Amino acid sequence: MAQIRLKNVSKRWNKFIGVDNFNLDIADQEFLVLLGPSGCGKTTTMRMIAGLEDITEGEIWIGDRMVNKLEPKDRDISMVFQSYGLYPNMTVYENIRFPLKVRKVPKEQHHERVMAASKMVELDDFLERRPAALSGGQRQRVALARAIVREPNAFLMDEPLSNLDAKLRVSTRAQIKNLHHTLKRTTVYVTHDQIEAMTLADRVVVMNKGVVQQVGTPMEIYDRPANTFVASFIGSPAMNLVSGSIENGVFSSDGIRIEGLPHRASGAVTLGFRAEDATLAEANGQIEAPIYTVELLGEATMLSMRVAGELVSIKVGKDYRAEIGELARIAIPASACHIFDQSTGARIEA
Amino acid sequence: MSEAMAHKRPTLLNAFIYGFIVLWLVLAAVPFLWTVWGSFKVEADFFSRESWWNAIFGTATIRETGAAFTGDGYYGAWITRDFWKAAFNTIIVTICVTSISLTLGTLGGYALARSGKNYAFWILIAALVFRAMPHITLVSGYLLPFFQLNIWGVLPTSIIVLVAINQPFTLWMLHSFFLSIPKDLDESAMVDGCTRFQAFRLVIMPVMWPGVVTTGLFSFLLGYNDFAVTAMLLSADNQTMVPKISSFLGSIQETGNVMFAVAAVVSATVPLFILVLFFQRQIVSGLTAGAVKG
Ligand SMILES: Nc1ncnc2c1ncn2[C@@H]1O[C@H](COP(=O)(O)OP(=O)(O)OP(=O)(O)O)[C@@H](O)[C@H]1O
Ligand SMILES: [Mg+2]
Repeated sequence: MAQIRLKNVSKRWNKFIGVDNFNLDIADQEFLVLLGPSGCGKTTTMRMIAGLEDITEGEIWIGDRMVNKLEPKDRDISMVFQSYGLYPNMTVYENIRFPLKVRKVPKEQHHERVMAASKMVELDDFLERRPAALSGGQRQRVALARAIVREPNAFLMDEPLSNLDAKLRVSTRAQIKNLHHTLKRTTVYVTHDQIEAMTLADRVVVMNKGVVQQVGTPMEIYDRPANTFVASFIGSPAMNLVSGSIENGVFSSDGIRIEGLPHRASGAVTLGFRAEDATLAEANGQIEAPIYTVELLGEATMLSMRVAGELVSIKVGKDYRAEIGELARIAIPASACHIFDQSTGARIEA
Repeated sequence: MSEAMAHKRPTLLNAFIYGFIVLWLVLAAVPFLWTVWGSFKVEADFFSRESWWNAIFGTATIRETGAAFTGDGYYGAWITRDFWKAAFNTIIVTICVTSISLTLGTLGGYALARSGKNYAFWILIAALVFRAMPHITLVSGYLLPFFQLNIWGVLPTSIIVLVAINQPFTLWMLHSFFLSIPKDLDESAMVDGCTRFQAFRLVIMPVMWPGVVTTGLFSFLLGYNDFAVTAMLLSADNQTMVPKISSFLGSIQETGNVMFAVAAVVSATVPLFILVLFFQRQIVSGLTAGAVKG
């Protein structure tokens, strides 16, 4: 049983704020993903949970213990490092066995547990090799096996897939998901790849510049982004954001006019909608603008056009063909629109 | 590949290259081989005034001892003049200096490499300053206090001074070796269940061996070859090899004394050859330092 609780956790180096006032309850057995652009404080947060970085302010609880003052070894967690951190002088077998050895697990269990862990990540053929003689993907799996061999309270994984090629990334991602299902341990997973976050997470924490932007299930974050940062960070392509003004439920700007929006908002706002929520309009659409580019993706065609100074993307059927410069009419249902305050960027609820 | 290149080179250049190598070999090796050869002759041959051929044919050696080679120099140095005692002292001094320097150096170098505090840098700079001073400046300052404390002339005193002189260097060298080992290694060891010291002992040190061997060898050589400190700080009966050899040369001429020095020099050099041959692989990998990577 291990919930992890962060209470007002901050990390500062002199004046520089690495993580600012982080509050979060991670449930037992939850798969939590920390997502954000490079340098936003994901690794720092994880290292504070692991005990590798001092906490400037706040409290971290694992289970029912406050761990602020505990050494990493006493926190009963295991960690997969961004650069693996394998012991170069030991064989794969010895690497995986190391945590058992230093934690004085009875010797007669070692072999069985190392074999079980290495089988889980399909490493059985490489046990006698040194890390230097392994490919990146194999090293990554050694790091995973070393983390799971001990069955700790919680796993921390720092961008474990970042060094793998696209194909291996997909299969290892599935492996991690499956491991989590089998082992049922609380897992904190750091990534800057939103697809990884969406596929793996029970809940996602989106961070930017050390500040938590939104916490929610992948669907919540996708469907109801809390602010323009989350909206533009999640989804591929990112959500289209157009600035304009809204009055009595009518949003208008250069080349765009949408009616039937909630009345609560008024004045200068940013309007967001996703490329796949827009469709081609029969007669008069919400957007009427010349086409800027046409990109064939195979399963769909991506149109882009300039609206209120911004390029917006529209996903249309794969058979659609048009010339650049032609006028396109696009329909956007009011229900698919998101409205954000223009100055703060915060979402304005219906 | 290299053969093909050799073919393309003009003959003149080739001649120059090989000529240079031969010249270099002669300059480097011949004095030593000459000394080894001469150490088995008598003084009248090796330092012959008539002709240096005497040193090769051993004319005087045959006249004096009845054979072309003699071990008189070695006997005189080792047995008559107690060179064995000096050799024994050297062993004690070098072993102590090396092990103390390495123990302090690995611990200190590791701490400085991982500390991340500003003062770590200043400690290293201070160490560099002390390293840069000529040894003799340190020693002359020590002399009077050592006399007054009555600890002059014994081995432990010069061991401590040698360690003090050597420590900055070992600290620097090991510090940079530790820097080349990624921090992730310590950190994953600590998450895996090690204390800081266990991480150092079980994970970092095994990766550090080439660095430790290289640094250890330099410390060894410092202790082994030192003259300034041991000559000033050791009494005549506690001398190590190098000052002892010098005393063979410098004392009032008795017959055979110079040959004792020659024999002692050869005796003192042989262990170095064996040592370097034995550790050459570790030294090379330590010096290139590419061997330590995660
Ligand atoms: N020891 C340190 N001293 C000062 N600033 C630091 C230190 N470590 C990290 N930072 C800063 O803290 C911020 C957060 O770093 P962190 O490593 O957590 O980023 P990250 O979200 O993991 O990024 P990435 O995706 O690139 O790994 C960065 O701007 C970084 O420059
Ligand atoms: Mg990171």
